[in-house]
Amino acid sequence: MTTLLDINDLCIGFSAYGQHRRVLHNVSMYVDQGERVSLIGQSGSGKTVTMRTIIGTLPMPPGRIEQGSIQYDGQSLLDLNPQARNRLKGTGISIVLQDPMLSFNPVLTIGRQMDDVVRYSDIRLGQSRSKAERQLHLIETLRKVRLEEGKRVLDSYPIMLSGGMRQRVLIAMALLNKPRLLIADEPGTALDVTTQDDILALLNTLVAEEGLSLLLITHNLGVVRKMADRVYVMERGRIVEEGSRDAIFDAPQHPYTRKLMDAVPPLYGEKVRTVTHDSTKPVVEIKGVTKDFETRSGLLNRTTGRFRAVSNVALTVDQGDIFGVAGESGSGKTTLAKLILGLMQPTRGQIMLEGRDVATFAGTRDFRKMIQIVYQNPGSSLNPRRAVGDQLAVPLTFTGEDKHTIPGRVSGLLDLVELPKSYASMYPHELSGGQKQRVAIARALSVNPRILVLDEPTSALDVLVQATVVDLLHRLRREFDLTYIFISHDLSLMRNFCNRVAVMLRGEVVEAGPVTQIFDEPQHAYTRALLSAIPVISDEEDAQKPKVSKEERAEVLATNTALEG
Amino acid sequence: MSALEDPDAPNRGLTARQMAAYRFRRNPLAVIGAFIVATVFLAAMFAPYLAPSPESAGSFVDFRNRHAPPSWDNPMGTDNVGRDILSRVLFGYRVSLGLVVGVLGVAVPFGVLLGLLAGYFGGWTETLIMRFTDIMLALPPLAMALAITAVLSPNLINAMIAITLLWWTWHTRLIYRIVKGQMNEDYVEAARVAGASHSHILFKELLPNCFSAVAVKISLDAGFVILFGAALSFLGLGVQPPTPDLGTMVATGSEYMPEMWWQAVMPGLAILYAILGFNLLGDGLRDMLDVEL
Repeated sequence: MTTLLDINDLCIGFSAYGQHRRVLHNVSMYVDQGERVSLIGQSGSGKTVTMRTIIGTLPMPPGRIEQGSIQYDGQSLLDLNPQARNRLKGTGISIVLQDPMLSFNPVLTIGRQMDDVVRYSDIRLGQSRSKAERQLHLIETLRKVRLEEGKRVLDSYPIMLSGGMRQRVLIAMALLNKPRLLIADEPGTALDVTTQDDILALLNTLVAEEGLSLLLITHNLGVVRKMADRVYVMERGRIVEEGSRDAIFDAPQHPYTRKLMDAVPPLYGEKVRTVTHDSTKPVVEIKGVTKDFETRSGLLNRTTGRFRAVSNVALTVDQGDIFGVAGESGSGKTTLAKLILGLMQPTRGQIMLEGRDVATFAGTRDFRKMIQIVYQNPGSSLNPRRAVGDQLAVPLTFTGEDKHTIPGRVSGLLDLVELPKSYASMYPHELSGGQKQRVAIARALSVNPRILVLDEPTSALDVLVQATVVDLLHRLRREFDLTYIFISHDLSLMRNFCNRVAVMLRGEVVEAGPVTQIFDEPQHAYTRALLSAIPVISDEEDAQKPKVSKEERAEVLATNTALEG
Repeated sequence: MSALEDPDAPNRGLTARQMAAYRFRRNPLAVIGAFIVATVFLAAMFAPYLAPSPESAGSFVDFRNRHAPPSWDNPMGTDNVGRDILSRVLFGYRVSLGLVVGVLGVAVPFGVLLGLLAGYFGGWTETLIMRFTDIMLALPPLAMALAITAVLSPNLINAMIAITLLWWTWHTRLIYRIVKGQMNEDYVEAARVAGASHSHILFKELLPNCFSAVAVKISLDAGFVILFGAALSFLGLGVQPPTPDLGTMVATGSEYMPEMWWQAVMPGLAILYAILGFNLLGDGLRDMLDVEL
């Protein structure tokens, strides 16, 4: 087998603000013709720098290649002149970008944006094709990514396509000029798990059909297991382990690889941690709640449309529960959280917290001492311009805490979330993601609430950090007898964290019950489809996932691949 | 390169402030701007001590020495009544900076407050404030200022009022846009969940996030206010003689162009110098604080 891409002893450093640091240390890796290789690493491990160096988009300066070489098909990429290197873009090496929402220009049609790719590469390669020929080529390529209505897709604007379709178009764009090496940067991570599953399957088929080589860059071990023949594990700019997929997953050697594997919450098997809790004292009662949003437009601000975000939801959360609300984007789970927090009023129905109606009770001091929230992204939920201590003091000030006791309470809170007291004077940007989320948890706990709404509290964090935050949440719940409402799309985490789960689909709760019942005997087709789509890291788990036929799946997920508008 | 940091260790190395200072120092134009602004302030502050002939700032006349070209005694020459132009420029900076402080001292807080209210409350408050701002923005500024100073009597205070009435609108627009963006951030909702009052959210949560943009805008504004004041004086609607004002000096000097060029050119250069300084400083701050205006 011939080696297509060969990176040898690559060292890259960055100089900025008068400081210099090396971010890649002697990285060597290769990709053979027709091989699927994965590069795994947490954020900041240097995997994106590696990718950008290969495709030649690393900003230099501040970046600098200090040592090493990259051979592509016998040519030394780093020594090629810019024109020769440009010729390889798309034709030799092509890339599928991560975010299907941000990778398009919203004001140009898909057709125009795809046509540009072909036109400019034709110019670079000195060919010329007529517009009609190019369009035929575009439609053919779209067919390869299973978008049959090529003409319609080409005439659409990016906003008219669903996330999954956009990702498919991105893949099609990467294939337009018949590359030999496809680099995929976290494909599908921005998408729902069922859509991601489709995209991964598609990439696998394409690699086989077109005889491509694939370099997959990801942090998700489950995805790697599905998509790779060989794996490289990267930690802090160093390749710490490499091997065949089976070798890495069956017998990881390096402690870092093992740590990564252990941190992934298992979906099935003996490592699963089942949280049980018995209580019949209801604290949150959601009674037939419906929330409609109205879209208004026109000169007179008339109601022009109605959208039902939450539809007739009835749930009861008992004292001490960790109640999971699962669902994909647009399922209404965040709206439900806002209704529980009294930030929105339900169109119909009633929500009771410890027997009191949220509609009349929200906004009072007692209400705030009852329920608080931890947001998904601590980068946004903490004010970037205020010191940590000041932010922790806000809920205290507004629940009538004595001014003189606040500093003491603030350091007590930092202690509670295992952060040093000195952090009170720091600003959020000085903290890491995990630490910021700890501050956000401390803020929510500052007024000793009895219920905590956790809105995807770990989805912005790396898996290793996620594990520590989850442990902290477990400890706090024990210490303060808290009730959690945990909103997430991550079912593997939910399996290990919650004792009861409700699954939402398009505003409705399709299934609810104890965690073991939902995961071991899922009743609703959607729950089964969700579970079957989760990328897991062992064969045993794969075997235990519910089997869902294509037709069954297509039925519940019908809207995902349909054209909107 | 925060993306390259170890994800769960605190950011080591430079603090944001150090990084900003580094960015500023590495920008030679910004440093020059800061230097120029500092010299203008110092010149205005110590004008009585620095001026070769402080009495030139008043109604002093010396007809024997009128229209003297630049020389060692009068580095910028003398004007039509024999006053030293350099001395008058130094005192003129006092008027210009006074104008800047007076105008921005009122217009900025007012504009920022309206912007905050419009962005935060939305709805009718927003419609009222922003449409009124739009109306004010639609008026041609010079014509408006002319009308105001013509109706009231032409003097420094009225010129200041006229400029202030027009100036706040830009700050309202700027802050409104920033606040609208910040309203999507979770920290605003988090503060509301924590029970924070409107005034807490407005002034303690949102306002600090507007500071850097306002700082940049102010430093850029300062130059334009000086220019606007000079334009009004040039038209005879600002500072009245004999108080030295750069705009008036250019106006009187222009009658003697081109033979006795220094009488118009020297105060003109002084205006240019100050505006250049403020603009370079503003651009430098913008790069350093990374704001978009």
